Amino acid sequence: MTIPSFTGYQTAYSGLEAAQAAIDTTGENISNANTPGYTRQVVNTGEAGSLEIPQRSEQGAHAQLGTGVDVTSISRIRDQFLDIQYRAQNTASSNANTNSTELQQVQTALNEPSTSGVSTQLDNFYSAWSSLASSQSSSTEGNVISAGQTLVSTLNSTYQQMQTVQTQAQQQLATLTGANGQVEQDATKLATLNGQITEATQAGQTPNDLLDQRDNVLDDLSGLAQISVTNQTDGSVTVGFGDAATPLVSGTTVTWPQSLTSPTKTGGQLGALMSLSDTSSSGTIQQYMNSLSSIAGQITTSVNALQSPSSPFFSGTLGSISSPLAVSATASSVQSSSSSTSGADLAQSIANLSGGAASQSYAAFVSQIGSGVQAAESTQSTSAAVLAAVSNQRQSVSGVSLDQEMTNLINYQQAYQASARVMNAMDSALNTLITTVGAGL
Amino acid sequence: MIGRITPLMTTAQVLSSINNVEDQLATTEQQLSTGKSINQPSDNPYGASLAIQLNTDLSGLGNYANNVTDGTAWTSAATSALSNVQSMVQRVQELVVQASNGTQSASDLQATQAEVNQLKDAIKQEANTQYNGQYVFSGSATGTEPYSNSTGDVYQGNTGTVSREVGPNSSVSVNADISSLLGSGSSTADGKLLDTLTQISSDLGGGTSADVADLSNNQLTNLQTSLTSLDGLQANVGAAQNRLTLASTRITDLQTSDTAALSNDEDANIAQTYTTYSNEQAALTAALRAGANIVQSSLMNFLN
Repeated sequence: MTIPSFTGYQTAYSGLEAAQAAIDTTGENISNANTPGYTRQVVNTGEAGSLEIPQRSEQGAHAQLGTGVDVTSISRIRDQFLDIQYRAQNTASSNANTNSTELQQVQTALNEPSTSGVSTQLDNFYSAWSSLASSQSSSTEGNVISAGQTLVSTLNSTYQQMQTVQTQAQQQLATLTGANGQVEQDATKLATLNGQITEATQAGQTPNDLLDQRDNVLDDLSGLAQISVTNQTDGSVTVGFGDAATPLVSGTTVTWPQSLTSPTKTGGQLGALMSLSDTSSSGTIQQYMNSLSSIAGQITTSVNALQSPSSPFFSGTLGSISSPLAVSATASSVQSSSSSTSGADLAQSIANLSGGAASQSYAAFVSQIGSGVQAAESTQSTSAAVLAAVSNQRQSVSGVSLDQEMTNLINYQQAYQASARVMNAMDSALNTLITTVGAGL
Repeated sequence: MIGRITPLMTTAQVLSSINNVEDQLATTEQQLSTGKSINQPSDNPYGASLAIQLNTDLSGLGNYANNVTDGTAWTSAATSALSNVQSMVQRVQELVVQASNGTQSASDLQATQAEVNQLKDAIKQEANTQYNGQYVFSGSATGTEPYSNSTGDVYQGNTGTVSREVGPNSSVSVNADISSLLGSGSSTADGKLLDTLTQISSDLGGGTSADVADLSNNQLTNLQTSLTSLDGLQANVGAAQNRLTLASTRITDLQTSDTAALSNDEDANIAQTYTTYSNEQAALTAALRAGANIVQSSLMNFLN
């Protein structure tokens, strides 16, 4: 068998085609250099099959003549392992961010150290009793009542502001997990993409842009809670979400709403919000509110113990709706003396409560909140640093480097030009054959 | 570092570095503008709780200082009243000596009686001294007048103490029990000053030799006893004043050391903070400048 005449054209043409594909892909990469979540694509080529040219000199021996290049596939450069690492770190980082932000708000509500915070009002309250001990008059009695009322209103407003942060966390949680919330939206997108990718895969295609979109949605979900991604053979992914019993997305099926029970197993933004909005005694903010309420109880009990049981100074409990904390005494019912000959002993005893158990508990409470916020901020900055490092690694593998694309472009351009030259040469050889050999027949 | 570097990586790195410096700068600016190194508990949790406790201490010390001032004024009022009473008793003593030597006529004696009566009223007035609207000599019934017109010579107050708290578990009694000096008059015949003065007045009014003898034999002795008792009261009040002065010094010292401790704890070292601020600003400028240069270069600048 001899070499077919027009084989050369095909060989050169395949070179043109491959170079064309490579240039187009480079164009695609450059256009998407700044698209978030874009994975760079490369053209994979392989040698096309070869023709066997039998030798005339040796029986049965052949020469293999290559027939050009095949564009086998255009694939994404993506490291699945880095994706897993990134999503895990994203979950941790989201969790730390949410925690830190909300706890900072609680700290702001506390308003310490400050001259308008609870500790100053408490000091002023005890000072008012000290003035009463020196001089019993309607004005010093009135001062004690108004100092008490200021203390109560400061305690109440601090408590309520903490409660507001807790309620807002609840609302955010409900919005994210509720109907048409972010979880549902992401899950629906994921299911749709799963369907499209499955179709394309079964038709033998690699839908790179759909895969990129799906990876973006998975990244987003990982910020909300811990996810576990399982690749199925049909090209779809099954996604487990937090500690929900059923997978969130399986093929094109979305199972939502589901209940998430454990904040630690759920993780991410949702896990942090669950822990912050929890109104039981294991909720982060609820614990602070309960501590403040118990300190207020210490204050009121110690003062009431030094007044007559029939006309206590304080009534109610901090945080209770049915019996809120209030000053129930009036200027005329305030008792500064336990008997007519004892001097202002009660007033002095109450003044002496300053710096006592209740004051110390409050100082410790402030320190506790400060430490909590400090720890949260520290976790936040560490997580962010690790997330940035993993993100960089992902970028390093999958990101578009304009320098690299430029260099490749030069390569492919040259290859295209060279293939075109080969075609030219082939053309002129055939021309010679056709016009010169057998001319004049 | 890693293998490939892409523009997105470089931009992310530049932005993150600039962010970090700006974050530190914001903290330093807050410290400079408030003058405090602790602006929220998370800046220094232990320091924040220490600041609260020191402020409470200072508030307590302020209360003690107020009590010392109040007590000092109280004891001053008591001292000056007792001193006046002393002069008056000594005057009565003079008059009684003169009257008891037998050389005075009946009309002289009556003139003396009038003076003694006036002195007795004046002594009761001194006993009714007030400070800040409170009766200094009524024991703990500071709203009750010790000797009122309607109740004559009977003491209306009690024997309770008026004390001022000047330290933890440390109080000073600032009043004097004037009823131990003046008593409740002749209706009780308790032999104290008011009873004695009433006796003297009636002796002078009577003018008989028995009356004059009573003056020289008994009443002079009674007056001496009263003066001794008065000395005792004055000594007590003086002692209270001394304790108050000592307390005042101690309180001032504690206030100084607490204020210094508080400042150490929460005040920003302005010189140091300002230097840090300048350094951070320089770092920010450098980061911005470097970032601007890095982000711009790529191979395209050099290809034809």
